[in-house]
Amino acid sequence: MKVGEPEEFIIDGKRLDGRAPDELRPIKIEAGVLERADGSCYLEWGGNKVLAACYGPREIHPKHEARSDRAALRTYYRMAPFSVNDRKRPGPDRRSVELSKVIRNTLESVVFLHLFPMTAIDVYIEVLQAQAGTRCAGITAASVAIADAGIPMKELIPSCASGKIDGKVVVDLFDTEDNYGEADVPVAIIPRTGEIALLQMDGNLTQEEFEEALNLAVKGCKDVYEKQKEALMKRYGGE
Amino acid sequence: MKRRLVIPGEEVAEGSIILGHGVYRDGEKIYSSILGLLDLNENRVRVIPMTGKYLPKVGDYVIGEIIGNPMPTAWEANIHSPYDALLNASDYYSEIEPFSILLSKIMPPGKMIYALIREITPTKRIYITLRAIGTHPLTGGRIINISPAKVPRVIGKKRSMINMIRKLTGCRVLVGQNGLVWIKGELKAENLVEKVIMTIESEAHTSGLTDRIEEMIEREIK
Repeated sequence: MKVGEPEEFIIDGKRLDGRAPDELRPIKIEAGVLERADGSCYLEWGGNKVLAACYGPREIHPKHEARSDRAALRTYYRMAPFSVNDRKRPGPDRRSVELSKVIRNTLESVVFLHLFPMTAIDVYIEVLQAQAGTRCAGITAASVAIADAGIPMKELIPSCASGKIDGKVVVDLFDTEDNYGEADVPVAIIPRTGEIALLQMDGNLTQEEFEEALNLAVKGCKDVYEKQKEALMKRYGGE
Repeated sequence: MKRRLVIPGEEVAEGSIILGHGVYRDGEKIYSSILGLLDLNENRVRVIPMTGKYLPKVGDYVIGEIIGNPMPTAWEANIHSPYDALLNASDYYSEIEPFSILLSKIMPPGKMIYALIREITPTKRIYITLRAIGTHPLTGGRIINISPAKVPRVIGKKRSMINMIRKLTGCRVLVGQNGLVWIKGELKAENLVEKVIMTIESEAHTSGLTDRIEEMIEREIK
């Protein structure tokens, strides 16, 4: 057993932070928070605090990154040095580069890039405070920011993770569960078609457990999607 | 009529219907691709954007800023769209000989122009011209920036709003489709027009706006 590892993750059917196994952390989404970005979103997901900004379509620099048939979507995932318990060394590292790529691939599946050849769409995701599940929070916030920027897209992308603790599959892990749990499965879906835009797995699950985890995460995604819709409606005065 | 706010991915129509701006078809059904107000009748469906960058269209009048060092025979202009525009020397004066004079002497970087989009090539090169009716370089006055989605409200039906503002304030006002507005007149009148246009932008979604703006201007002028 490692330092800080709890003996039990589920006590009397409740998890360490008092949630039920299929309960998400509270989510708050606000669109259009940054004056100078074309589109922006601030998201609080339990202890995660994420700011996403979208710029574009705009002139692309350096020019050699331009594509003659579509826009170049560029995502930058960045963690603030103060976002985690041990100070994160600022600057790009393996993890940030990887997450930027994973998030870019997810968003590319919905944004209509072919409408803006020779341009760049830049999405910046700043993690101000992290409590596990920041890639899901980042994707959720980024897709709201892109919609807020008025960029055509197939649909908003919600994202949610599930995982395994104490041999039981639960949704939306927080940091202790993520660090000492047995598995973590982040998922992003396109809600209308049910297509999967992101699926990763860290840890070991049996096939049955995996299917259960996927279903739980998809259900979580649908809840997140409602919050995203609400945030955009609120921003633009719809009911 | 109140239009419904739709978000990307929301179902807006189905069957055979003409698709306008901001919608896409997937099988039988039609979905919105942008955030905006739904405009649906029996022939056609479109979504009027609430936000977004200006996308150039041939025939649009735009306000742009000359940028960078001019090339020997052309200027480059920022028209607040994803693409910079090119202004050939021959699209300003016919008598300019290439290399005979530095173009930056005629229009230095920072010069504002009111120009017409003449051509858009398939490679998204945008050519603007200053030889069309009504186009000219802008001298003096001030430029304000509004969302391109709100430009139709500033102009109004059959230009009613902009003509009313011009008549009541005596200012010269030019509205580019790209969301830049040029105002020139007396200082006080300029301030008033700026305030009025900002009000139109923030209340663009309400109805009966022209009358309310007219009242507002008359109240302020007194």
